[in-house]
Amino acid sequence: MAQQPLPSSVQPTTDMYGGDEVSALVLDPGYSTTRAGYAGEDRPKQVVPSFYGKINYDNGTRDIFGDEVIYPRANFERPNYMNRDSVVEDWDAATRLWEHVLIKRLQPARATPAIRNGLNDRGKNDENGDVDMGEGIEEQEEGEKPLAESPLLVTEAPWNTTKNREKAIEIAMESWGAPAFWLNKTPVLAAFAAGKSTALVVDVGCANASVVAVHDGMVLKRSIQRSPVAGSWLSGQIRSMWDSSDPKVEVVPTFMVENKKPVEAGQPAEARLKKFDFVVPESFRAFEEERLLTEFKESVVEVWRGPGKFQGPNEDFVKSQVGRVFEMPDGYNQMWREQRFKVAEGMWDETAAYPPLGGGEEGRVQKGQTIPALIKASLEGVDADLRANLVGNIVVTGASTLLNGFNDRLHMELTAMYPGLRIKIHAAGLSSERRFGAWIGGSILASLGTFHQMWISKKEYEENGAGIVEKRCK
Amino acid sequence: MVAYGRHPCHRRNQASKTNITLTCRLSKPFYRATVNQECITAFNDLKLSKKYKYIIFKLSDDNKEIVIDKTGDSSEDYEVFREALMNATTKSRSGQVGKGPRYAVYDFEYQLASGEGTRNKITFIAWSPDDAGVMPKMIYASSKEALKRALTGIATELQANDADDIEFETIKKTVSKGTAA
Repeated sequence: MAQQPLPSSVQPTTDMYGGDEVSALVLDPGYSTTRAGYAGEDRPKQVVPSFYGKINYDNGTRDIFGDEVIYPRANFERPNYMNRDSVVEDWDAATRLWEHVLIKRLQPARATPAIRNGLNDRGKNDENGDVDMGEGIEEQEEGEKPLAESPLLVTEAPWNTTKNREKAIEIAMESWGAPAFWLNKTPVLAAFAAGKSTALVVDVGCANASVVAVHDGMVLKRSIQRSPVAGSWLSGQIRSMWDSSDPKVEVVPTFMVENKKPVEAGQPAEARLKKFDFVVPESFRAFEEERLLTEFKESVVEVWRGPGKFQGPNEDFVKSQVGRVFEMPDGYNQMWREQRFKVAEGMWDETAAYPPLGGGEEGRVQKGQTIPALIKASLEGVDADLRANLVGNIVVTGASTLLNGFNDRLHMELTAMYPGLRIKIHAAGLSSERRFGAWIGGSILASLGTFHQMWISKKEYEENGAGIVEKRCK
Repeated sequence: MVAYGRHPCHRRNQASKTNITLTCRLSKPFYRATVNQECITAFNDLKLSKKYKYIIFKLSDDNKEIVIDKTGDSSEDYEVFREALMNATTKSRSGQVGKGPRYAVYDFEYQLASGEGTRNKITFIAWSPDDAGVMPKMIYASSKEALKRALTGIATELQANDADDIEFETIKKTVSKGTAA
């Protein structure tokens, strides 16, 4: 954000700060990636995987954040600090990762490294508590906390728990010394960024698909609906599809391939795989496989646009059309026709979904979990008078909505469900606005001078304790 | 240093103590920009003496205050009002001029289909064209509550995002809930 010098006649007053000069930070943690940056900018400066890297040594562990220096090692794992609900689970790791993006990457370098692990302050209940980012920890001067000059806005899922919310303000205020703090629910930010204070927000991310009604800038609690039918579920569908296809497609991530020869479509791969004299940790391999699956989603998978379901005559029609070719890292390549539609069909029609690998019930799409079902349930949770207004103001956000054809199908399904109502879908055209919708909303909000009256100040926190966050951030 | 956490209602309602608790309990997180007194005066003129047919409001250039952009009396056609909204602009921080959102109040008059005469509905319109920038859209959406609270006597409120949404017929249908002729 450009720091514009104030003309001498317009000095900031102590009463209210109207300018944009406050260097607020915005943090938007998600299951797939964690986004952080300066308020006022139009995209986050830092986008790092929430699956962080962790090297286990005999005498401790070391974290690796971001996408650099990632190669297979015997002791290298990739855990996630969030759980499947998109809520922080491992606070130790969350704090370290957030410190990495907010302090190490976004704060100016200091003579005395201001790396102070927030968790060391309160009970060393973790054996890794002392280990920081692999650098020497120097005790810093008391009263000079790393974020002493940056108000912090953090986004949260609308189903976040009270305990987690209080923990977030505790870390920001006590460990980092932030002068002000605000927690904001993601659907509200996405709706505001689309210019709406009343909207039905359809957010399909990595771990969760959610539908939430926002009215006058407030989340309607009874409208919150979510299911795991999102990006990471889709990866599972692709795995099932590859597993059941003939010949079976092996998932070989790029790091395993030493060299490959070109082969004809459908022929077995002729590649030499790398040999590792250790067992590649499962979480590392899974993360690398996910990259391959993401590429497949981006280039091959498509949502059947309708009209009607995909199964039946539409599937027969697609079989007669030209498909798309995808080459695996080991050289195996094949044309995908109807399958590329079928993997995403479970989002709309639970009967079309592939059974999850392993055959268990876990991961199987249930009747109420499809996106149309979520929307229906969400609308049933709100006042009948509001429904028409919400259907006319649908905001689509989240990276998984970038699947080809997603919006067309959504429109088609809604028209079939609510024939008498006017349906309007708002989806940002720029893919970055869809991927970082909530972050961008937070960035604008936090950069507004007038918004700063709303923050929870350090003083308020000291007077009221962490419980203030429940009272203020509704 | 910046005065964080100072809620606007603390300053506004210092005179009455009961009022403070009341407003604070009702307040929502985005109730921020202040409303210029002229907005309220003009609205009362519209409501009580029918001096205006419509009022268009905008945010001042520093986004801190809601002020009057344009007013019109009943001699003006609806299309003039619609054009004014559609041509509204806003200046970005870097000085670029683009499409701009607005708030508007329009005193709608329509005939009842049942032939029972005419009705008037003072309608609040939050106009935020889809092709405006993210920044102005966000600012207008999050500041709307402030203005809405300041104006008492609004019968209907609607959100409009493209040219179709502010067609006379579209609005008439919403405002009259289908009872108009």
